[in-house]
Amino acid sequence: MRKLGLAVLILMLMFSLIACGQEEEPEESEDPGEAVENEEETAEGDGEEEAVEEKPFEGTVLEVSVAYGGAEDSFEQFTEETGIEIEWVSLSTGAKLSQLQAEEGETTTDIWFGGGVDSYFNARDLGYLHQYESPEFENIDPKYLDPEGYFGALSLVPFGFIVNEDLIEDLELDMPSNWEDLRDSQYSGEIIMADPSISGGQYAILSSLIQVMGEDEAWDYWEAVNENVDFYAQSGGEPQQKVAAGEFAIGLTAIHGQTFGLMETAPVAALFPEEHIPWIPAPIAIFENSENKEAAKVFVDWYLSEHGQTILMEADARIMANENVAPPEEMDTLNMEQLIDFDLEEMGRERENILDRWKDVIGE
Amino acid sequence: MNRIFKKERDAASSFSFDFFFEKAVILLLAGAFLLFILYPIFTVVLKSLTKDGTWSLDHYRSLVTPRNLELIRNSVFVATLSSVIATVLAFCVGIFAHFKGVLVRKGIYRGLMMTMISPPFISAIALITLFGRRGLISYGIFGATLNPYGWHGIVLLQSLSGVSLSAMMMMTGFAQIDNRLILASRDLGADAWHTIHKVLLPSMVPTIFSVLFLQFTMNISDFTTPIIIGGRFRVLATEAYLQVYAQGNLNGAAAMAMLLLPPAMIAFYFYRSNMRKVQTLSERSKVLDRESIHFQLPQILQWVTASITIAFFLINLVQYGNIFLTAFSRNVSGSIVFTLDHWGVFQSRHVDALIRTIYMAVTASFFATVSGMLLSYYHQRRKIKGFGALEFIGSVPYIIPGIFFGLSYIVAFHRGPITLTGTLLILILNCTFRHVSVGNKAANAAFESMDHKLEWASNDLGASKVRTLITVVFPILRPTFLVSFINAFTACMTTVGPLMLLVSPGNLVTSVLMFNEINSGRYGQGAVMGSMLILITFSVNLFAIHLLNREKRN
Repeated sequence: MRKLGLAVLILMLMFSLIACGQEEEPEESEDPGEAVENEEETAEGDGEEEAVEEKPFEGTVLEVSVAYGGAEDSFEQFTEETGIEIEWVSLSTGAKLSQLQAEEGETTTDIWFGGGVDSYFNARDLGYLHQYESPEFENIDPKYLDPEGYFGALSLVPFGFIVNEDLIEDLELDMPSNWEDLRDSQYSGEIIMADPSISGGQYAILSSLIQVMGEDEAWDYWEAVNENVDFYAQSGGEPQQKVAAGEFAIGLTAIHGQTFGLMETAPVAALFPEEHIPWIPAPIAIFENSENKEAAKVFVDWYLSEHGQTILMEADARIMANENVAPPEEMDTLNMEQLIDFDLEEMGRERENILDRWKDVIGE
Repeated sequence: MNRIFKKERDAASSFSFDFFFEKAVILLLAGAFLLFILYPIFTVVLKSLTKDGTWSLDHYRSLVTPRNLELIRNSVFVATLSSVIATVLAFCVGIFAHFKGVLVRKGIYRGLMMTMISPPFISAIALITLFGRRGLISYGIFGATLNPYGWHGIVLLQSLSGVSLSAMMMMTGFAQIDNRLILASRDLGADAWHTIHKVLLPSMVPTIFSVLFLQFTMNISDFTTPIIIGGRFRVLATEAYLQVYAQGNLNGAAAMAMLLLPPAMIAFYFYRSNMRKVQTLSERSKVLDRESIHFQLPQILQWVTASITIAFFLINLVQYGNIFLTAFSRNVSGSIVFTLDHWGVFQSRHVDALIRTIYMAVTASFFATVSGMLLSYYHQRRKIKGFGALEFIGSVPYIIPGIFFGLSYIVAFHRGPITLTGTLLILILNCTFRHVSVGNKAANAAFESMDHKLEWASNDLGASKVRTLITVVFPILRPTFLVSFINAFTACMTTVGPLMLLVSPGNLVTSVLMFNEINSGRYGQGAVMGSMLILITFSVNLFAIHLLNREKRN
């Protein structure tokens, strides 16, 4: 009994020592140590002669904040080819931006991978991104890229509808084919879309339709659609999952490899509206605070190269940013002519105004 | 008599090792609380008071909108309703269990431990997949389309998930009642109803208020349940979360989280003042084993509480069954398709995070419980000046929305002498200080009904304060330690709010991954992680109980 009590007190003391020790010794000193350890391990383990020359960053660990559905399937291949290890977290870009602001840019993360381009503009303006013009940029349409090279583009993400065919039949609804259709009261309570203040994708839909329809008409439109929406999803990926589970008939969503994947397991179809297809580029950037900038550049170059882009496309079927990579079969239904021609910068600049107005319109 | 000499006893301390040791522990405790609770919160408050680098009340001014008033109303409404329902149900389960034999009581206790594990938002999986718009039961069997999204969904999930912890606290509370009182009441001719009304209820008042307070503060700062099941119904905690998460408006969120403090402080005050009132009621010794008294609940009460208990466990059975089922299947428009896909993904990606989560939860809950109990001891028993304030400080992290506490750690520890962001340590510290209040409240309730004379006796026999603490107080508090450890551990394993912003690719934990999956509607993935968390938490809890039982036998 007494021993237990003593053990408790000793542990308390140890705890205090750990806590005090930590105060004196900032955490950065740990990371390189870890990296070195890893290096040794991997060198002993599998790296024989070839590793040393071809993989200068063997064992370096890159931390990646991912907002790119399916991308993780390509990381293994990257590690195999470069020896650079990946630790990643799936985090929406809005959340990452908030975290960056709280940390005043002093993040331990090296790479920002995919997500809403509006957050990248914000982060760039706040000085959190590292300027790096990859040599691969020359194969990428400049309208996808940041003019000053603070971020590159991985792929193009178009938006459209995901429809549960069973439900459409059961409820005797018409297939939607256009934005205008969503106003129809037959869809009352059957439409789900994300809150644009959370989902960068939903914001892109909102903002680009405003640019193409004109302010007044666009807001009238959203007000009418609002009548059919029970509530707004709190994550950009939620609508397609809920439509697949049959909770709602129609979802507004980004259409990419994972969406097509759902079509194999659930009675859903991905449709592009007949005209005005919103889209955004999925960006990639290096954080200014990264301590592994050279390895991070290898990462960016690899993912923007024809080779890396092909592997990323296999992981998640999208139209890639690199012009030398042919679009995947799944995207055949996308009529590129109908992609909305909009101003990316303006999309980033107008965010606050548009979201304020949005709150007024939907009454939240 | 004893009270008269109390002062002299406290004064009698020599400059021994124990004396300095105790001073060190007290200083350490106070220092840790100031550094890891008050300082981070202070930095965020500071943030809420500045705009573009200058002092400004703008963030507060923009808070006073009709919409925010509505949010406050919503928050208070939902939190009150959920807490009251949970407390009433828990009381029924507790009283039912207390007057049953050892076996039934133990069974119920273990059962409660099991059901306590799932945070309310995991239950959302079951609610949506079973009774949702295309639920397996509501739509698949009855063809009905129910809408689970709204305030009723929040109240349902919060109160159900609150029952387990509350009922365990109730059982501990009942076990502390002096059984002689019940006998006396019966001997004096009171019937069962009268005994319940005049003896049991008054003795349970401190526990009931502890439970209510705990539930209320937990519910009002919970944003995970409302965000998943609330639909358009928003509460203040959700809004604060969105301010951070969606708008990146840290200062505004900080100001908004301040709004959550007054209701929680009122609840805290209510709880404290009530504790003082009943303190004298329970200064009695416990000499009678409860097995030796014969007391039967009135027939009607027996039936009602029995059916509530059974219904509660049935609902949980369905819910857990559903979580495991969801881990192995896919809901396709109201029918099930079995698959192992979710497990494959888990195995290839999330095992490291799971191991990290377990390590974090064990360490954090141990320290949280010990410091919570010490806090209670120095405040309740030793009446050391300032510990009342420390106790309040200790309960603040529990009151404020988790995301706010997480945010405060980022703001305070992202640079400067204590740079902790991106490490596992920051998660451990955050979890520890967030759950101090669990052990603290439980220990408070235990001290209320624990006889002070035991300690006085020990002191009179020449034991030092530290020795008394170790050899007398801790052993008596062992069940309390156990319950608190389990509570804190379970909470650490499944907590999301505070960790949400603290995780980076290098220190991911399972609960955050799980919340992201569920929030994105990927219930299969979420259910796999939920199943793992449930199994592991349950095993660790069982192991903790086993250890303590063995210790008791020795």
